[in-house]
Amino acid sequence: MNEFSTLVQFFFSGLTSGSVYALIAVSLVIVYKVSLLICFAQGEFFVIGALTMVTLTSKGLPMPLAFACSVLISAAVGALVERFLIRPIRDASVGSLIVMTIAISLALRGLALLIWGKESKILPPFSAGKPIGVFGATLQPQVLWIIGITILVLLVIWLFFEKTTMGVAMRACAENRLGASLMGISTEKAAFLSWAWGSGIGALAGMAVAPLLFMQYSSGVMPMVKGFIAMSVGGLASIVGAVVAGYLLGVVEAYTIGLISSQFSDTIVFTLLIIVLIFKPSGLFGATRSREV
Amino acid sequence: MRRLGRYWWIILLLFIALYPPTLGGMSAYKSGVLIFVGIYIILAVSLDLLMGFAGQISVGHAAFFAIGAYVSGILTAKYGASPVLALIAGMALSGAVAWGVGRPVLALKEYYLAMATLALNEIIVTLIIGLQWLTGGASGLRDVPAFSVPGFSFDNHVHYYYLVWAMVLLVVGSSVAVARSPFGRTLIAIHSDETAAKTFGIDCARYKVRAYVLSACYASLAGSLFAHYMGFLAPDDFGVMTSINILVMLYLGGIGTIYGPALGAVFLKLLPEFTYQFQDYELLMNGIILIVVLVFMPRGLFGILTGIKERVFARSAR
Amino acid sequence: MAQSAEMILRIADVTKSFEGVHALTDVTFEVRAGHIKALIGPNGAGKTTLLNVINGLLPPDIGHIYFRGQELIGMSTDRIALLGLSRTFQLIRLFTVNNATVLDNVMLGAHKLLKPTICGALFFRRKTAREERVVREQAMDALAFVGLEWAAAMLPGALSFGNQRLLELARSLMSQPELLLLDEPASGLNDAEVEGFMQLLSAIRARGITILLVEHNMKLVMNVSDEIVVLDFGRWLAEGAPAAICADPKVIEAYLGACMENGGS
Repeated sequence: MNEFSTLVQFFFSGLTSGSVYALIAVSLVIVYKVSLLICFAQGEFFVIGALTMVTLTSKGLPMPLAFACSVLISAAVGALVERFLIRPIRDASVGSLIVMTIAISLALRGLALLIWGKESKILPPFSAGKPIGVFGATLQPQVLWIIGITILVLLVIWLFFEKTTMGVAMRACAENRLGASLMGISTEKAAFLSWAWGSGIGALAGMAVAPLLFMQYSSGVMPMVKGFIAMSVGGLASIVGAVVAGYLLGVVEAYTIGLISSQFSDTIVFTLLIIVLIFKPSGLFGATRSREV
Repeated sequence: MRRLGRYWWIILLLFIALYPPTLGGMSAYKSGVLIFVGIYIILAVSLDLLMGFAGQISVGHAAFFAIGAYVSGILTAKYGASPVLALIAGMALSGAVAWGVGRPVLALKEYYLAMATLALNEIIVTLIIGLQWLTGGASGLRDVPAFSVPGFSFDNHVHYYYLVWAMVLLVVGSSVAVARSPFGRTLIAIHSDETAAKTFGIDCARYKVRAYVLSACYASLAGSLFAHYMGFLAPDDFGVMTSINILVMLYLGGIGTIYGPALGAVFLKLLPEFTYQFQDYELLMNGIILIVVLVFMPRGLFGILTGIKERVFARSAR
Repeated sequence: MAQSAEMILRIADVTKSFEGVHALTDVTFEVRAGHIKALIGPNGAGKTTLLNVINGLLPPDIGHIYFRGQELIGMSTDRIALLGLSRTFQLIRLFTVNNATVLDNVMLGAHKLLKPTICGALFFRRKTAREERVVREQAMDALAFVGLEWAAAMLPGALSFGNQRLLELARSLMSQPELLLLDEPASGLNDAEVEGFMQLLSAIRARGITILLVEHNMKLVMNVSDEIVVLDFGRWLAEGAPAAICADPKVIEAYLGACMENGGS
């Protein structure tokens, strides 16, 4: 491999992890936009989605069916969590809410441990096929799947939140509760649906990378943290910002690992996060809004 | 009954002092558990000063736990420094880090603050892993000697138990003193309403940083005690999961009460001793316990205890 | 400029806009030491914005504010408070977390007298306790002054709305202010409470404390103030003694307009 193909190779790995970060960040943003809550349990849906799919395919379910079932199961878990665990303490302080989502993540992780045990599992690739050579770098077919799924998910989200009445009403919830109720949706229902969407998308991210990554019950922590970073850099409530920041993070991280230091890549990424938070708290892509007293 | 209520701490003190010679015979295992309990009490109480009083969320308290542990470990194991000096150096470094990052980081609010403190924790851990020549990296730092002061070494586990619990009492006592002082009251004002606090001349940024520095110094002390007890340090013990565990203790016990988080630490660290045969259930159980506490008893275990106490007194007064 | 020695507060050409909308335009007036000056105007006249500018919560776009000759613009809110300027809020803002009591709230008003430190809490406990005792007595006096000494150990949330306003006032008095900014202190009070409040204001004035009062209750304003300044849509409209303001056709017109909008409130 020459130098250029190495750079291309880093880019591919950046795109792969970037897709995951973008999806998780988007799932966080959807929940945040509707219910002004950041869910620290999002990484668990990433794991649950992937491991459910591993189980279903190993039971002989065809890939597409297993795929659909895993998304639906994860979305249902997320929605139930909202209904029975978040809603009762909806008016608590931000501190309590953060700790509540942490508690949920502990419980879900514990559940995953009981169901799937401690060993790591891997999914067969979605399609058989040899790695493709591009500019001397190799591209796994699964990476194309990941990017394809990401694009598809973003398209569906865009259609839902821009073109359907329900989606528009859900978006309105964050800004104007009365307006939302006039459009025929209560904030409770919107929060419920946003959790279903959020956990479904989080699960999709996990399932898409499951053929490339060994998954176990505790694999969700780092992707979730990276998703947070993308979300913060993207401006907390911006889906576009989260996607751009997710890919940016993936690519920056890949080049940092490849060119600067693999040991200190996370140190650098987290330092950059703190710097962004301090100097541009609304995110790199968020609108600066003057604060009211 | 009322007298019992007032002098409960003397009973507690006697129990701590007399436990090893009477009940235990004190196996190394039992003293180990109680030493861990003590260390986590220090961590939980120190975080309570920051979160329960100053109202500043931190999901990265283990960062200072790590700094204390590694400064003590490195200075004593690699450079043969006196443990006391190393402990002080750790507290000084933790305090300095808190002071340095405190002003910009604590200017952030809510989720942003949570995120920034989490990032700080990750930065410290990745530095520990990365700076292998200094810290031993992911494979750990070996041969941290037992704690000693000139003329006396705490190499016996019972001695170390007394040392740790003396520190626990010092930290809890001083935290209560700070919390009840005008300083603690000022923190409460900042926690309540920063804007209103400012209109009374309270320099919020400065007070938040002071609380952060104090909290970091205590956490560092816990780290040093941990290092000398373990003799071996690995970065896994100082990650975000540890910070989250401390947070759980706070809410479990009752945030903003000092005693509550201490109680939360005792509960959460002793619980596995009774459930060790269901080890795989531990995560799930911690999660469920915390959920139950948050939904049904927002004042935590300490809130329940004070509730019971009030009810008993109300009855005996009748 | 010989006169300005008595002027405790001078507001000069203050302009403030939010996203292009002018909240304050070239506002200029002075407050004489020892007086009660009322700042009135229809809703949206920019009164609260002006108070926020005076105590440093909002930076103005242009303009100056002098407190006893000292420029306040650019100073932080807490520094301004230390100079002897205290305020209450339109929406009550008491300290409520961790079971802070009514007495705690009032004692917090005395922050600038205590300037508490960690060292004070841990090492100079006797000195701290002595100072604390003095402040506690002062706080009880302040509570007695507003008639709330019976509530010292209660939680602020347990007080009635009117008593919470009195508590805010007691807290502000604890900071030994030279100038007190009151933002609609009588809103939400019943007639009897307003009556009591007027007497309190006079008593505060008798202590030599200057008051700048934003208020909608005209009866209160006309009874207690030495001078009135009227803002309308962020502009200075009129200024003078209560009787003169009452008779000013510009003021009447502005208020009639406001009455139409508010349905006569």
